[in-house]
Amino acid sequence: MTVHVLETEGQVCPFPLVEAKRAIAGIASGDELRIDFDCTQATDSLPRWAADEGYPVTAFERTGDASWTITVQKP
Amino acid sequence: MILTGLALGALLGFALQRGRFCVTGAFRDVWLARQSRWLTAFFVTIAVQAVGAFALDAAGVIELGGGAFPWLAAILGGLVFGFAIVYAGGCATGTYYRAGEGLIGSWIALGGYALAAAIMKHGPGAPVVEALRGVSAPVGTVHELLGVSPWILVALLVAGTAAAVWHHLRKDAARPKPVQLPARGTGLARILFERPWNAFATALVIGLLGIAAFPLSWATGRESGLGITTPSADIVAFLVTGDAELVDWGVMLVLGILLGSFIAAKGSGEFRVRVPDAQTVLRSTGGGLLMGVGAAIAGGCTIGNAMVGSATFTLQGWVSFAAMLLGTGIAVRFVFGARRAERTVAAPTPVGV
Repeated sequence: MTVHVLETEGQVCPFPLVEAKRAIAGIASGDELRIDFDCTQATDSLPRWAADEGYPVTAFERTGDASWTITVQKP
Repeated sequence: MILTGLALGALLGFALQRGRFCVTGAFRDVWLARQSRWLTAFFVTIAVQAVGAFALDAAGVIELGGGAFPWLAAILGGLVFGFAIVYAGGCATGTYYRAGEGLIGSWIALGGYALAAAIMKHGPGAPVVEALRGVSAPVGTVHELLGVSPWILVALLVAGTAAAVWHHLRKDAARPKPVQLPARGTGLARILFERPWNAFATALVIGLLGIAAFPLSWATGRESGLGITTPSADIVAFLVTGDAELVDWGVMLVLGILLGSFIAAKGSGEFRVRVPDAQTVLRSTGGGLLMGVGAAIAGGCTIGNAMVGSATFTLQGWVSFAAMLLGTGIAVRFVFGARRAERTVAAPTPVGV
């Protein structure tokens, strides 16, 4: 299993979500996608997207002031 | 007592930031994600305010209605504004609250928006706005046009919105719950600064603040509800003329939004000065300036027109609301259509486990 990293710091919403959707389409089943982001709105939109798509979330943390990381697995 | 504007603005800014309430996002989702969840939340703010505004009108506290319908300006300005907010990364209130979160891109957009609105309202653009807004129809509200009681429209709006909310709440309940961030604080600190707000609860709070805005603003002689564009233009005009008359309840309101969202962001560890890249700077500048032009022509932004104007059933409100939504759809095609084509080869960087 590989963890792919998508760095979206500095990008405003909805770009982190748009990029995440594209990135997950390009990775193998069973691989994980870690999305680092600093857009506040994405703390709502990314976990909601994962829940809607049925992607298990293996990590979701705050890494500092206005910085977060979420890791989803492609089933 | 214009300071009530500052207090109400601060509460509004707090709710916008904690609720992640972004009208641009709501409009954009319709086109980009084909989702109406946030648009439904926006309708909640309209429906709640409609009930309150017409009740206040019936009680004689405020006086609604009257005026003409500048249809050309509503359509044209709405299209420009709806287009611009996608580039600016937020509409007027969205840009104010993100500025409070420390996003330099939003500071730039905000500056451009206020400057352009001032140019179009107080400066050399004023004759253009006047000429466009001179093209009007004599009837200003939907209920006058249809010859019905406004309460029929309010009832229809509330029923339709309630049905849409019910639909989304049921859909939410049927889906797996989104994962939440691990808790850091407890008690009141967690409730105020950490717990994610439900979209519809946030909309209800914003709607109630919108109702409160009417009598509070009216008491100071400013006879309208929530509004962002004119106060933003007035700040610029005040700064360059020193005319203290321009500093009214509305100016306090927008300053309050900035203050409230800063408090909310700081308190929840979501404030950080974030510097955008060159492309975002260009987009924010262009989007901000266009936003000011569009809002000045349309006679309001997503708040003054699409929210408050729609709640009071003005034709300008509803028509510019539709034009804004359409403008957003056009911009989404430009921004996200092009991005899709240029970035299809970019793959995420793989790293070891």
